[in-house]
Amino acid sequence: MDCTAAGVAPRVDFALVGHPESWKAAADVFSALRGPDRIPLPDDELKDILPWIPPRAVCRVDVKSIADAEAHGLYIDSFIPPDRLDAACVRENLTRVRAAAAYAIKAGARIVSLGGFSSILIEGNFDQLPPRRSTIFTTGNTLTVAFIVQGIEKMCAQEGRSLRRSTLLVVGATGDVGSGCVRCLAPKVRRVLLHARNVERLRRLAAELEAEGVDVEIGTDLGSFSEEADVVVCAASLPSPSLLLGRVAPDALVCDAGYPKNLSPDAATSRATVFFGGLGQMTGGLKFDPDLQGILNRHPFPDVVHGCLLEGIALTLEGRFESFSRGRGAITPPHVMEIETIAARHGIVLAPFFNAAGPVTLQ
Amino acid sequence: METLMELKPPAECTSPTASIWQDVLAQAVTGELVAAMNYAALAEICDDPREAGEAREHAAIERAHAAAFMAAGRKIGVDVVSNVDGKHWKRLSGAFMGCVAERDTIGCLIVQEIMLESFALASYTRVANVAPGSLGKVFGAIAADEQEHADHAMAILKAERDANPDRFDDKLHRLHLEVMSTLAKMLAKDCRDGHCEVCVSSCVKPSLFEVSLSAAQLRGASLQQYLKTLDALGLPGEITLAWIAQLPV
Ligand SMILES: NC(=O)c1ccc[n+]([C@@H]2O[C@H](COP(=O)([O-])OP(=O)(O)OC[C@H]3O[C@@H](n4cnc5c(N)ncnc54)[C@H](OP(=O)(O)O)[C@@H]3O)[C@@H](O)[C@H]2O)c1
Ligand SMILES: [Fe+2]
Ligand SMILES: [Fe+2]
Repeated sequence: MDCTAAGVAPRVDFALVGHPESWKAAADVFSALRGPDRIPLPDDELKDILPWIPPRAVCRVDVKSIADAEAHGLYIDSFIPPDRLDAACVRENLTRVRAAAAYAIKAGARIVSLGGFSSILIEGNFDQLPPRRSTIFTTGNTLTVAFIVQGIEKMCAQEGRSLRRSTLLVVGATGDVGSGCVRCLAPKVRRVLLHARNVERLRRLAAELEAEGVDVEIGTDLGSFSEEADVVVCAASLPSPSLLLGRVAPDALVCDAGYPKNLSPDAATSRATVFFGGLGQMTGGLKFDPDLQGILNRHPFPDVVHGCLLEGIALTLEGRFESFSRGRGAITPPHVMEIETIAARHGIVLAPFFNAAGPVTLQ
Repeated sequence: METLMELKPPAECTSPTASIWQDVLAQAVTGELVAAMNYAALAEICDDPREAGEAREHAAIERAHAAAFMAAGRKIGVDVVSNVDGKHWKRLSGAFMGCVAERDTIGCLIVQEIMLESFALASYTRVANVAPGSLGKVFGAIAADEQEHADHAMAILKAERDANPDRFDDKLHRLHLEVMSTLAKMLAKDCRDGHCEVCVSSCVKPSLFEVSLSAAQLRGASLQQYLKTLDALGLPGEITLAWIAQLPV
């Protein structure tokens, strides 16, 4: 990989903080680390060992931009056990995220992307992170929103759907990702349905949209909306894939942007088109050492990574070490346009479409 | 405040968990006696008389720990029988003596202070949290002692690694394969290689839940302590993660 002198710690420009999306995902990483000559760790052993592992780097990450820049980083796992993402474990998980952040700071990372639940646990309060002098943090959610929006638009175009005439449902609408998606997509659709549990926050977001002339309906019960949605974005912070969609058009377009996924395996409606959103692809070059390509990022296409993690990489390649996304629902269309332009300049583009069954082919 | 446990008459030897504590103590005493032997051997290869003196002092402290654990056993009415020739402990001390034979004081410190102490510190701390009365206190106090001398060794080891990280990490990995694999087997849920030769009758591990402990928890806490120590020395996390992932289960 790089020609660092023996014993000298290689340069770390960026760090990507993540957590295993499922026990299966964690098992795959451990099997790869054990190598082909050892039997894979039995599931019960993995569940006994993983929670004790202090947050640490899993691999080095080398990236290349199509604009000739390159950067070096670390993928740091907080090792939040995949079945302990729920509210009951918030304190323990926050401690893990802080330890992962401390690891990134110690490694000398200039920018750190807080992937998936890492930023949710921080709740936009970067003061909760360990003291640092030259490391900055981003939630990465602006690029996530960009890829969700691009995915919806591209899918509609490919399938000959009219986005303009559609009713959009956003699940987790008041969240950082959800509200960014709502702000970007609301002007492009006929009607918007906002869903989350807290009605006060729904009302506030609805008022903001109504002031812009958007036709909005809010609901804390997915079955209570007055009409069926034909385009759905799932961006709720669910600890496991448990979402059942309820009333949506039978041939709806559904983007599941959760990390872990939102949709329950039982949610599939036969004619709906479901795709995993918020994901991008590094076209310039992406290398892991140890080589966990396709294991750490277990997608049916190569070099695909979550948008939240790619944002830190894009900012590094651009030389813009700033907290581009700070959480708390502040993502607006101009921010989204800015980060997607930066990402595209370095060959970080929307990932090909796929879902749990594999690549999504045109209907 | 004295706990009920300490105020009870000697009848506590009939306590249904006494035999579990007896085996836990047997492992602890064995570990302390192995540590005492290790330090005594280390003293013999130290060129610097001051370091030799310190090693002898450590040997005495470890013997005192063993004595304190035996006394704690008597207090709850059990006889603690140790066995430094028990198969796992024999391999662990064998690894240390290999370093002694090579007059490798750094290797000795790696085995004793990074590996065996990680296990001692983590497991004593866990036991201290659940063991009743004076027994818990003894484990807690000895854990604090172990922490203190581990800190002292860390300064030496850190300086050694800083001088030549590659050489240090290679040596550490070689010793890891020998020592940590043995510790992992010792703490594995199932005793695949038969009896440990320290527990009095059948293996204590399946009964640990009766005193709110488990082999998995002791292994997890020990590995965590070990990884934290390696982090403090500056070893790359992605390397040490792979080492842990590759241990036998
Ligand atoms: N694909 C990617 O690259 C990527 C990147 C970043 C984040 N994500 C994922 O996107 C999701 C949202 O992240 P975020 O940062 O926006 O989180 P967030 O700011 O905490 O927002 C979560 C949203 O979900 C709602 N919610 C939570 N539980 C719900 C439930 N049971 N039913 C309905 N709504 C619920 C919340 O509102 P109430 O509390 O009022 O219900 C809120 O609107 C997470 O799964 C995250 O991991 C994916
Ligand atoms: Fe001791
Ligand atoms: Fe000791």
